[in-house]
Amino acid sequence: MSLTTQITGFVQNVVNAMGIALTVNVEETSDGTRINLEGEEGGVLVRRGGEGLQALQHIVATAFRKQLGDDNRIVIDCNGFRKDKDAELRQMAGFIAEKARSSGIPQEMGPLNPYERRIVHLAIAEDPSVTSESIGDAFMKTVIISTKK
Amino acid sequence: MAAPDGSGNTGNPIKEVVEVIARALVDHPESVRVTETDRRGTMVLSLTTAPGDMGKIIGRQGRTAAALRTLVALTAEKYGKRVQLDIRD
Repeated sequence: MSLTTQITGFVQNVVNAMGIALTVNVEETSDGTRINLEGEEGGVLVRRGGEGLQALQHIVATAFRKQLGDDNRIVIDCNGFRKDKDAELRQMAGFIAEKARSSGIPQEMGPLNPYERRIVHLAIAEDPSVTSESIGDAFMKTVIISTKK
Repeated sequence: MAAPDGSGNTGNPIKEVVEVIARALVDHPESVRVTETDRRGTMVLSLTTAPGDMGKIIGRQGRTAAALRTLVALTAEKYGKRVQLDIRD
């Protein structure tokens, strides 16, 4: 049984146990595997800033850490909630980079969790005129976006 | 409804959430036990594992336990219950 099948089966078991009717679809993207949960009852996972989705994501990453290794990324989405959030975050990173460029003053973004920081760093890396770094030593860190010297 | 994890447990959905998740996290899933008691109208679920497995449930800085509690709370809310999860070590 492939790892993706195992993970999909586990996610299905958890949502079934939670009593939420959702279908589980797998999508392979250039940025790893996305597991998309779809259905009208998805609100349970999405409310309060996607707290349930984030918890499920953490449980899956922890339970399958050894099999996944460092290079395989699994993202769990529900009714496109995460996708929209990611797009919003990339757009916000673009605005803040523009502000850093026009003012010449480094700009702060966050605090962000590791997943969000990765999205911001990847978005900023596409623009050769700016650079980003995380500061802090807690789980949530602030990202500083500044112009490259 | 048949238990999706094949455990034969069809009773309490909230307990089942704890069992399904805990078994996936530990090295000895056969040792995962969840017992249910009632404390003044609140359902109390006590989770025990094999001795070396508790750290896996708790996680770094308690993050895995926090994620488990979040999913338990969402399930409890859905069923209109008050639930407390005791993680026993």
